[in-house]
Amino acid sequence: MTHTDLTSPIDPEIVVALDRRAAEIARGATVASPIAAMLALGSIPIAIGALATDVYGQAPSDVLDVLQFALLLEYLESEFYQRAINSTGLIPASDIAVFSTIATHEVTHVTSLLELIKGRSGTPRARPAFDFTARGAVPGFAFAATQYATFKLLAQAFEDTGVRAYKGQLTRLMTDKVALNAALAIHSVEARHAAEVRRLRGGNGWITGSRRDDLPVFTQPVYDGEDNTTHGAVSVAALASGSGGVDSATEAFDEPLTMAQVTSIITPFLA
Amino acid sequence: MDEGARDCLGLDVAVGNGRALHAVASRRDFMRLIGMGGALVLLPSLLAGCEDGSNTGGLTGPGTGAAVTIDFALGDVAVLQLAYALEQLEADFYGRVVANFASSGFSTAEQATLSHIHNHERIHRDFLKATLGTSAGFTLATVYDGVDFGNRISVLKAARTLEDTGVAAYNGASQYLTLAGNLLVAAKIVSVEARHASVIRDMISPLSNEFAPSAFDDVDRPKTVATAAQAYLVNKLVFANEPTAFTPGPADKG
Repeated sequence: MTHTDLTSPIDPEIVVALDRRAAEIARGATVASPIAAMLALGSIPIAIGALATDVYGQAPSDVLDVLQFALLLEYLESEFYQRAINSTGLIPASDIAVFSTIATHEVTHVTSLLELIKGRSGTPRARPAFDFTARGAVPGFAFAATQYATFKLLAQAFEDTGVRAYKGQLTRLMTDKVALNAALAIHSVEARHAAEVRRLRGGNGWITGSRRDDLPVFTQPVYDGEDNTTHGAVSVAALASGSGGVDSATEAFDEPLTMAQVTSIITPFLA
Repeated sequence: MDEGARDCLGLDVAVGNGRALHAVASRRDFMRLIGMGGALVLLPSLLAGCEDGSNTGGLTGPGTGAAVTIDFALGDVAVLQLAYALEQLEADFYGRVVANFASSGFSTAEQATLSHIHNHERIHRDFLKATLGTSAGFTLATVYDGVDFGNRISVLKAARTLEDTGVAAYNGASQYLTLAGNLLVAAKIVSVEARHASVIRDMISPLSNEFAPSAFDDVDRPKTVATAAQAYLVNKLVFANEPTAFTPGPADKG
């Protein structure tokens, strides 16, 4: 039985960040005095917990950075679905309720993020122009009536990206509970969207391994890393042996993407 | 020994015990306990006889069995214990669903989907058990009054309640997590619960707006979560030191 250690739930990525931050402090970087006090006391567990907060910073600028990033994603999604809804003949009548629902949600998410940013004295970024051919990666895509299959695969890629993008930023919102809750409440709705679109396309609602299934190769970064089976100090691959094995283990946990990874994925869609 | 801890016959069992802080022998032990959220303290001897659902004291109604106390003084550990309780319930529920496939009228494809979900919930449960280590010392007995496991729609409606509750629970309890690593783990799980919720809802009402009934999922207080879960638990789920402060979500519930 694994014995709970304070540091065990911290992902390697965070430990690396902590390590970097510790080195900065050693070089004379400023640190909040309670953390310094705890380091002096030798209370490593507490200090690590506090440093995790310190590393993932909750300065208002940090929160705004996350909210602006989320706004860009929601601009992308909302425009994508609005154009689809407005394109005669693209979405069959059988599926219009699903995509109308998603479209409405994405508009609401944009509105919510605009308010959160303004409420923190930020100036929301402007809505950019989008290129849904992804600079030619999706050749000729123009929301035409014959392009429903392409629309759906892009929808899946956007929704699965959205889930991972929010997940990767949550820890930067830890001291702004209103923003954290908004991000969480949107994050899980994006997961509902993702599951519905995946099922609409004949797949499962969840991601197996790092498989993009029938999506084009340019979408692979949306799924890279989803095959991780270690969370904190626990390897779920071993304990999943009687519960569907490694495939199930990867399905049971969605993985984060960094802001840089998400930016790389969506940049081709910016005109 | 904590005099408030009792046995498996319908009496109180503390999951973790903040009062044991008084008993620690050294500063180092003290710091370790603080770092752990005090969760090292366990009562395995009291819980040893409680596995396999025998801790009902002969009673089977919701909340009639042994109390299981989650003490929020334990910090992050308490949040993970609440998650562990919910994942136990979900894993048990889908176990019964799978066991009743012969009579419940699910299509082959639906059976495959539900079997996948069963596996995911078992993995969540076992992951949290491993993460909590000695703080995972409780096994909940379940009861499903009003759920007909031989009836497709009855099963799906109960599943919908459990999945929606799970999403709102993780969303609402995340604000009490102090360690970034724990928040990330909760987020890795909650989006899979949301995928489940979407799938179950689509099975009930295909291709409607039901898969995501709101632009914002609920962000529920632990107390709200406990009330929803209690309907399916024989053990009485009890909170100690539940935080009074709660920041509601954008849907303004909780």
